[in-house]
Amino acid sequence: MTRLQLIAIRLALLALVLGAWEVLPRNGLIDPLLLPPLGDVLKTLVELLGRPQVHEAIAVTAAEVIVAFIIAVPLGAAIGVAIAESDYLGQIFKPLLFYVFSVPKSIFLPMFILIMGIGFQQKVAYAAFSTLFVVIMSATAAVESVKADHVLVARSYGATRMQILTRVYVPSMMPILLETLRISMIFNFTGVMIAEMYASRTGIGHLISNWGENFQLPQLFAGVILLAAVAITFNETVRTLEHRVSAWRT
Amino acid sequence: MMRRPAPSTVRWVILAALLVFWELFPRTGIIPELFLPPLSKTIAVLVKDWREYASELSVTLYEVAFAMLIACGAGILAGALTGGIALLRNLLLPVFSSLYAVPIVILYPIFTAWFGIGSQSKIIFAGVYGFFPVMLTTAAGIRTIDAQLLLAARSMGASLPQQITRVIIPASIPTVLSGLRLGGALTIIGVVVSEMLTSAAGIGYLVTRYRTILDSPHVFGAIVMILLLSIAFDTLARAIERRTMVWQTAGRRQKEGERVDVAVKPATAVV
Repeated sequence: MTRLQLIAIRLALLALVLGAWEVLPRNGLIDPLLLPPLGDVLKTLVELLGRPQVHEAIAVTAAEVIVAFIIAVPLGAAIGVAIAESDYLGQIFKPLLFYVFSVPKSIFLPMFILIMGIGFQQKVAYAAFSTLFVVIMSATAAVESVKADHVLVARSYGATRMQILTRVYVPSMMPILLETLRISMIFNFTGVMIAEMYASRTGIGHLISNWGENFQLPQLFAGVILLAAVAITFNETVRTLEHRVSAWRT
Repeated sequence: MMRRPAPSTVRWVILAALLVFWELFPRTGIIPELFLPPLSKTIAVLVKDWREYASELSVTLYEVAFAMLIACGAGILAGALTGGIALLRNLLLPVFSSLYAVPIVILYPIFTAWFGIGSQSKIIFAGVYGFFPVMLTTAAGIRTIDAQLLLAARSMGASLPQQITRVIIPASIPTVLSGLRLGGALTIIGVVVSEMLTSAAGIGYLVTRYRTILDSPHVFGAIVMILLLSIAFDTLARAIERRTMVWQTAGRRQKEGERVDVAVKPATAVV
C-alpha cells in the first residue's frame, strides 16, 4: 500500500466521521441537544473567535502555557542531566523519581490554590510543576542515549570538552531533545487546562468548563475543536522536525 | 576525602527529613498551617474521620475498577488489532499518536453534559484517559515480537490459534503489562481529577469540598489517601511485571525493542 493510498483512506475516514457528525444530529438519529451538528459548531467557533472576551481568554492561556514552559524545561533539563551524568546522584534519586512519576500531580493543585490563590501565578506554577518531572525523565533518557563509544573515540582523537559537547552530545541527543520538548508541551498544556478548569476567572479552560456546566454544547464543542487543533498542529510540527534531525544519529 | 554514604542510606535520610520538615515547618510557623498542616494533624484527621474517608474511597475504587476494565479491555483489543494487522497499523497508529497530543481533560465537560455528574461520567472519562497508553503499548508489544519465532512456529505447522496462544501472547505480555501499569495509573488520575472538577462523591470530591472551606488538614488527609492509593497500585503492578520479566528477553528484537521503549517511556510520567 503506497503512502498516497494510505493518506486517501485516512481522509476518507475523516470525511466519514465528520459527515456522520453533521448528518446524524440533523436527522434526529442523535439528539442535537447532546451533539450539535458539525456545521452549527463551526459557525459557533467562527462567532466565538470574533468575541473580545474569547480573545482575552486565549491570550491569558497562551501566556500561562509559554511562561510555564520556559520555567519547566530548562530547570527539568538541568536536573535530568545532573542525574544522568553523576552515577552517585542517579543512584540516590532515580528510584525516588520512579515513585514520583507514578503519583498524580493534580492532587497538589489545591495546595497551589491555598498558597497562591487562583490567578496567573498559580496556573504557571502548577503547570511548571506538573511538567518538570517528565522533562527530568526525558532529559535523563536523552543523555543516556549518547553512545559511550562515540565519546571515547572523540576523546582519543583529542577532542576538547567543548568539542565533545557540540559534536557528539548535541547531535546524538537532538531527536530525543525535540521529543522532550514535544511531550513536555503536551503535559504543560494539560496542566494549564486542568488548573483553569478547576478554579479560575479567565482562560480557555475556564470558558470550556463554564459552557459545560451551562449546557452550551455548541460553544463547548467549538472550544474543544479549537484546543485540539492547536495541540495537534504544535505536535505535528515538532514531529516533522524530529524526523528531519534523526538522520544525524545512527 | 570523606567516603560518601551509600545511596540507599541517603535516600532514606531524604525521606525521613521530608517527613520531619512536614511536621516542624508548620509547627514553628515557617510555613503557615493553612498552606501545609503538620503531619501529625493530618494523620489525626484521617484517624478521627476514617469513616468518611473510607466511604468516599470506596466510591473512588468502584469507579477506578470499572474504568480500568474499559481502558484495559478496549485498549488491549484495539492495540492487538492495530499492532497485528499491517493495514490498520499503517492507517491508524499515526492518527492515534497525533490524537495523543490533545489534553483529554477538555473532554470531561462533554461527558458531564452527556452522562451527568454521577459515577458514569467519571468511569467513561477515566476509561478514555487510560485507553491510549494501553493501546499504544500493546500495539508496540505485538509489533516487536521476533519474526523468527513466528516463522519457526509456522514451519513446525502451528495453526493460527496456536501461534496466538503459544507465541504472540507470551512474547507480548511484558510490554502489555507495562502498558497496563501506565494505563492503570492514568485511570486512577482520571477518576480523581474528574471527581475534583465536578462531582458529589469520591475522594477527589473531598479534596475540593475541604479546599473551598479552607480546611487544610482535611485536604491533606485526602491527598495522603490518594498518594497511598497510587503508590500501592504502582508497587503491585511492578511486582507482577517483575514476575514476568523472565519472558522479556526471550522473544524480542533488540534494536526495535529499544526504540519503542524510548518512544513509550516519556509518556509514563503522570499529570
